[in-house]
Amino acid sequence: MAVCTVYTTQSLNSTCSISTPTKTHLGFHQKQVVFYSTGKRTSKRGSSSSGGPCVITCSAVDSQTVVIGLAADSGCGKSTFMRRLTSVFGGAAEPPRGGNPDSNTLISDMTTVICLDDYHSLDRTGRKEKGVTALDPRANNFDLMYEQVKALKSGVAVDKPIYNHVTGLLDPPELIKPPKILVIEGLHPMFDERVRDLLDFSIYLDISNEVKFAWKIQRDMAERGHSLESIKASIEARKPDFDAFIDPQKQYADAVIEVLPTQLIPGDNEGKVLRVRLIMKEGVKHFSPVYLFDEGSTLSWIPCGRKLTCSYPGIKFHYGPDTYFGNEVSILEMDGQFDRLDELIYVESHLSNISTKFYGEVTQQMLKHADFPGSNNGTGLFQTIVGLKIRDLYEQITTSKTATPLEATKA
Amino acid sequence: MATLSSLNLVSPRVVANVLDSTKASSVKVPYLTQPWKRVSQLGSRRMKVIRPVRAAPDSISDKVEKSIKEAEEACSGDPASGECVAAWDEVEELSAAASHARDKKKGNDPLENYCKDHPETDECRTYED
Repeated sequence: MAVCTVYTTQSLNSTCSISTPTKTHLGFHQKQVVFYSTGKRTSKRGSSSSGGPCVITCSAVDSQTVVIGLAADSGCGKSTFMRRLTSVFGGAAEPPRGGNPDSNTLISDMTTVICLDDYHSLDRTGRKEKGVTALDPRANNFDLMYEQVKALKSGVAVDKPIYNHVTGLLDPPELIKPPKILVIEGLHPMFDERVRDLLDFSIYLDISNEVKFAWKIQRDMAERGHSLESIKASIEARKPDFDAFIDPQKQYADAVIEVLPTQLIPGDNEGKVLRVRLIMKEGVKHFSPVYLFDEGSTLSWIPCGRKLTCSYPGIKFHYGPDTYFGNEVSILEMDGQFDRLDELIYVESHLSNISTKFYGEVTQQMLKHADFPGSNNGTGLFQTIVGLKIRDLYEQITTSKTATPLEATKA
Repeated sequence: MATLSSLNLVSPRVVANVLDSTKASSVKVPYLTQPWKRVSQLGSRRMKVIRPVRAAPDSISDKVEKSIKEAEEACSGDPASGECVAAWDEVEELSAAASHARDKKKGNDPLENYCKDHPETDECRTYED
């Protein structure tokens, strides 16, 4: 599918041949096709002329690729977030058919998710020899990452390498076609400045140490060979590299989802009830932060009371403006968990600027994936809301880009 | 078919995948003229062919176990060294891979997987009134 605008030769000084575009609108990837027609005129955009050659300039719709960056440490919920995000756009994201079965890429109708581990410059043995973790920038090829993301953003397909997590080797590349929405997820989407500038929206999942430990225990205790000590040792060993290279990326993110232990249960260390903060940067283009009741004010809200009964420990919200690494932000915070459907719909009806298309959309999305981890607390809620904000951002960007070529032809 | 040739010689797993898919394409042809044989025999053959050739979760579990032992050995010397840190990073990577493999295995219905690729076959037809 392509958007084609028709020009007559009176407006363009091009000859009847296919040439590289001399006139590019907004840097789109263009192919010019010249039709020499006598008398018959097929112009849809209202340019009137008495026959003569018409130049049809086609710009691929894919050149409107919106790029989203998602950063988080391993085992922190990136996959869950990805599944929720792709579900908001409709359809399930699946690995490419007929390709490498260990590919990390997910493709759905609207979105393609690329795992940045594919840009490792050193495979597992290489990293072992050099004594370097995957978190270290020395193990990643940022030049290739930048070139390929730039190419996909401008509508050019790329051959992306595959990092096989099972064997630890770099497999032969797979072809990635430019999608409408490209999501790059991994450890370093915002590390390199050039890649950062390509991102239309960026998210960082900031999991606190206690919660990370609890999640990793949940994930790994079923594995033979793992013990509490080995899980702890693994987290501790990776911490210096994580703090040095991954954590600083949160200052660049447009939205940070911070997950902390709950404050509602004193002395809780199970990590089942969570306190989740959605930190939204102010002034980001096409993104208006979610708020509670009155934008810009500070308030605490406990929805449980006369109209709504909740079970222990209940739900507590907080909203207010703040500064985060020198940036103006709004923070929406939820502590506690949802036990029933009506709690969720009640909360949804009181949140503003959530970019839903109909009443109850957030609840519907949460119910659709009730088996995903975090579906009963702030992680699922905020991930779903961020997904809807990204959809809104995508729609704003695409409508603004299709509007401008129309204006150009009228001129 | 271009993708098949580019995947050659990489790993036995991938070669096996290629073989499996060629098996799938060659099996159907002789039964076009004998439709009465098609359902029963094709059905039994098909079941052998669907299985996606991925590393079995057991081998990943073994890898996790091995990597933990190696990491403990590497760190017995100097806990702050690059080797120790890289070894634990490998443990983390393999644990993540094992967890993903477990999740994938949970949702693997052989019929659903087959029907995703071949929705036109008899077994996969859906009727809506």
